[in-house]
Amino acid sequence: MSGVIEGGWEFVIAAYTVSALLLGGYATSVFLRFKKEKARATNEVSG
Amino acid sequence: MRASSARSIAFVAFGVALLLAGSWWGLAKAPGEVFMGDVQRIMYVHVPTAWNAMLALTFAFVCALCFLFTNAWKWDNRLEAGMEMGVVLSLLLCMQGSIWAKPTWGVWWDWDPRLTTTAVMVFAFGGILALRAFVDDPVKRAVWSSVACIVAFVDVPIVYFSVKWWNSLHQAQSTPQTVSSAFHWPLRINAFGILFLWIGLVGLRARVAALRRRGEMAPPLTQKQPATGRAPITGGAV
Amino acid sequence: MNALFAAFRKDLLLQWRGRTQMVAIFAFGAAALLLFSFAIGPDSSALREHAAGFLWLGLLLASTLSLAESFECEMEEQALEGLLLLPASTRALYYGKAIANWAQLALLGMALVPVMVVLYDAGTLRLLSLLAVILLGTAGLSAPGTLYAAMTSQTRARQTLLPLLLFPLVVPVLLAAVKATSLVILGDPMEQYRPWITLLGAFAVIHWSIGGLLFGRVVED
Repeated sequence: MSGVIEGGWEFVIAAYTVSALLLGGYATSVFLRFKKEKARATNEVSG
Repeated sequence: MRASSARSIAFVAFGVALLLAGSWWGLAKAPGEVFMGDVQRIMYVHVPTAWNAMLALTFAFVCALCFLFTNAWKWDNRLEAGMEMGVVLSLLLCMQGSIWAKPTWGVWWDWDPRLTTTAVMVFAFGGILALRAFVDDPVKRAVWSSVACIVAFVDVPIVYFSVKWWNSLHQAQSTPQTVSSAFHWPLRINAFGILFLWIGLVGLRARVAALRRRGEMAPPLTQKQPATGRAPITGGAV
Repeated sequence: MNALFAAFRKDLLLQWRGRTQMVAIFAFGAAALLLFSFAIGPDSSALREHAAGFLWLGLLLASTLSLAESFECEMEEQALEGLLLLPASTRALYYGKAIANWAQLALLGMALVPVMVVLYDAGTLRLLSLLAVILLGTAGLSAPGTLYAAMTSQTRARQTLLPLLLFPLVVPVLLAAVKATSLVILGDPMEQYRPWITLLGAFAVIHWSIGGLLFGRVVED
């Protein structure tokens, strides 16, 4: 494909936003699960 | 908190910092590319994601081999974490690829061999995660997902090769591959950013897997007697 | 070797005894081919062009039924444990069952060819070439299929898990078999048939090897 692509910033923003949301969302989910499992483990030990 | 968990969180933080720096550089400072214009900037996050997705799944493959050879639980924890991370990165890769394809090729999907192989990998490794959810016995779960991971990973190059061949008969390949050397820095920074991010997340996720299994295999808590003090009902005389 | 023949004979016998089920699976495959034609519409040239794809999709769908069924009897009365107690290596058990599954799938494929010829006007005289594709393609389905059927038959969601695990894996088989069959039906002016057959062969060799290596771990206790 020849020729210059004009603009296209909305696609760039979309790509970076999707990346941030997916990675951020997954990281949050891992953190939340981590907190939950640690809390459960300490409860079982003490309870 | 364990030292290893603290280190994982530090890795995640460092990774995020690198990603912010690399993305800012790629978006704000680097000049637009000659033919692609500004759309090329997607590559600063797409290429690093591609490298790391492959790395994460290779890590999972190594963990699967280690588990089958050692039967040590820690390798199953890492396998679960690595596969999950690999699926997330591969899914992200497909989404980025689709967003890049629309302004470039005019369609949302152009059957590019690398992206098509990635889509197949999402289904293949996602399926193994589904398998894990349906197996209750922890030993079987670990052995079977290791076996499945090895088979799926060995299959990846075959899938890539067959799709590449299949596609080459239909369109002349001209996917822009080279990134000019002036643009290497945002790429490298983002690549290390995602690398530290996923290593940190896998560390935490493996810990989650370990804690879950401990809960699964723990001996049952002794039952307290009911408050009434009556003996529990047994079968026998009416 | 004796163990392998014994295992193969056992599975073949089981298939023979369950042959009404094989007929039902064939009916399922034929019905699938009919439904595909409804998806395209009564456009003869379009149907002919895509006939190879429909054949292999139909065969793939039917294979999940026949592969899952091949482990049904092992699940009853803990027959699998009984098998493992025998002094036969798990490798012999695997290859015996995989070969039996291969035979069943190849037969199914050959039976679906006349259906394809009639529904899509997709006939050919190059029968040996077609047979080669069917044999190599079904070999590629049978090896990983047997391995995964052994796993999923012991789980809760067995009917969904087998296709879920198998389909992404056999994408190369689908691509190559459809392409090769298409060349046989529609003509092959540029001699592309041989490379696709080679790909099918390579896939089969790789997966029959690793299947044999890994099956032991899958069924051990």
